[in-house]
Amino acid sequence: MMVMANFYGGWLLGSLLLGFAAGWISVVQRGDGLSKNAGMGIAGVAAVLVGLSLARIVPGRAGYWLDLFLVMIAAYLVGCVIGSWLRYWVVARQMKGN
Amino acid sequence: MRGLFRSSGKWWRGAILLFALWAVAAWITTPAVEADVAERSAAALKSTVLDKTRLTPAGRDILFSADAFSEEGRRSAVAAVEAVPGVRLVVDQTRLVPQATPFVWSIERDVVRVTLSGSAPLPASRARLADAARAEVAGVEVSDRMNLARGAPTRFDAAALLLVDQIGKLKEGKITLSDTKVSLSGMARDLGGREAIGAALRNLPEGYSVAENDIKAPPYVFQANKDPVASTVTLTGYVPDNAVHAALAAAAGQKFFSEKVVDNLKASIGAPQGFANAVAPALGALSRLSTGTLVVSDREVRLSGDALFEAAVSQIRGELNKDMPQGWTVKADLSVKPAASPVDATVCQQLFNDLLGKSTIRFESASASIDKDSAGLLDRLIETAMRCPGSSIEVAGHTDSDGDAAFNQALSEKRARAVVDYMVRAGLSPERFQAFGYGSKIPVAGNDTDAGKAKNRRIDFVIR
Repeated sequence: MMVMANFYGGWLLGSLLLGFAAGWISVVQRGDGLSKNAGMGIAGVAAVLVGLSLARIVPGRAGYWLDLFLVMIAAYLVGCVIGSWLRYWVVARQMKGN
Repeated sequence: MRGLFRSSGKWWRGAILLFALWAVAAWITTPAVEADVAERSAAALKSTVLDKTRLTPAGRDILFSADAFSEEGRRSAVAAVEAVPGVRLVVDQTRLVPQATPFVWSIERDVVRVTLSGSAPLPASRARLADAARAEVAGVEVSDRMNLARGAPTRFDAAALLLVDQIGKLKEGKITLSDTKVSLSGMARDLGGREAIGAALRNLPEGYSVAENDIKAPPYVFQANKDPVASTVTLTGYVPDNAVHAALAAAAGQKFFSEKVVDNLKASIGAPQGFANAVAPALGALSRLSTGTLVVSDREVRLSGDALFEAAVSQIRGELNKDMPQGWTVKADLSVKPAASPVDATVCQQLFNDLLGKSTIRFESASASIDKDSAGLLDRLIETAMRCPGSSIEVAGHTDSDGDAAFNQALSEKRARAVVDYMVRAGLSPERFQAFGYGSKIPVAGNDTDAGKAKNRRIDFVIR
């Protein structure tokens, strides 16, 4: 996996930053989030994809693209968590200050 | 924390951009990743021995096809590719090279090229054999049609390299190695080539043997050409050794008394059995012709040319057949030289004197048997006698002074009689001849030296 970092590195960083931005915005964004069912559905699909990837069932290029997709999603989610958490922290400080 | 969970429901909006980013990443990195895993895999296989290796990348997977030379080698090659960092899956399409039974390898030489075919056990030995063939027949095209196969006998390389070394000695032919049996066919390049190959084959590695050796040698040729215009006898071709060479040259000098012998003979092994015993009488037969060619090829003697008179043809043919060693054949294609114009008695006498000035009729020691080396001279004397049919001829025998006078007298008479008989057998009328013996009474040189004695031992022809 370390070897592949050469090829993934920049793209993972991009995904992380994109996740960070999405997380940052999501705290103050209006509108409803995903319904619980939709969330469960997405989680289910993600679990299937992870399962496919770990079992190395998908062959050739598609297999590589699936792996790439999953690591980019993972980086994105990490970015989202960090972004949201920081934004909460910033908002909470501002509210205390007022 | 609850806020974090609540906001996570809105993270999916950014995922739309993430999809686009992923698509671009997949587009850009795929070729680079594929090139990278292929290169690493090739590097991992560098020290393994495989044939027809193909590494086809698809994403991080490798489609690996190759021919391996053992099951162990095949497994270790697959494991080596699987262990390459970055490779996700190895699609194993490797197989073993086919087993060859029997394991047949051959080298063939024809007019234009040398062809290597059959099976070789490893790429390295295949290359080594092709290189050895190129070195052996420098300048000749070498065509490599060998396949790789398992099942070679032990020490195959050593045996095959030894056989490659023999191809240089062949003009054309084929050497086949089937398991441990060698068979050879074709024609050796030089005289002695067949023997050289036979000697080299004794160095085959242990366990290898010659099943069939059908190499033929080029014909062993000896040639003599008698040219009456240039007054030469040219000897060409081969003789077995220097002793036979010297003996033949000496015999030729005696038989061809009035011609210059040009000796272009070379010594070479490979002579057929009885060579010297066959060539000597054949040269004697040639010496009786006015013009002619003698070709001795292996065990066949071919004589062609013109005899000096009619009776000589059957005499020459008969004696040649009688004198040949066992297993030799004779082909005599003889005609008769046109009769020379008649001359008067004085010219005839002059012609006799000329001939007897160049040589003399020889006999075996203390006997009246005519030496075979004198057949050429006698034929010329007979031809001369035929040119003056009206004259009668006295044949006079003389000896040197050694020994008893009465014995010498008798011997000289017997020798003169033997010469007359010889002439009569050739078809001359007996009435024309008178044989006289003079013993040592009329010497032409001093009897105190060997040279003088040799001159005194003679047969004279006198026209009456």
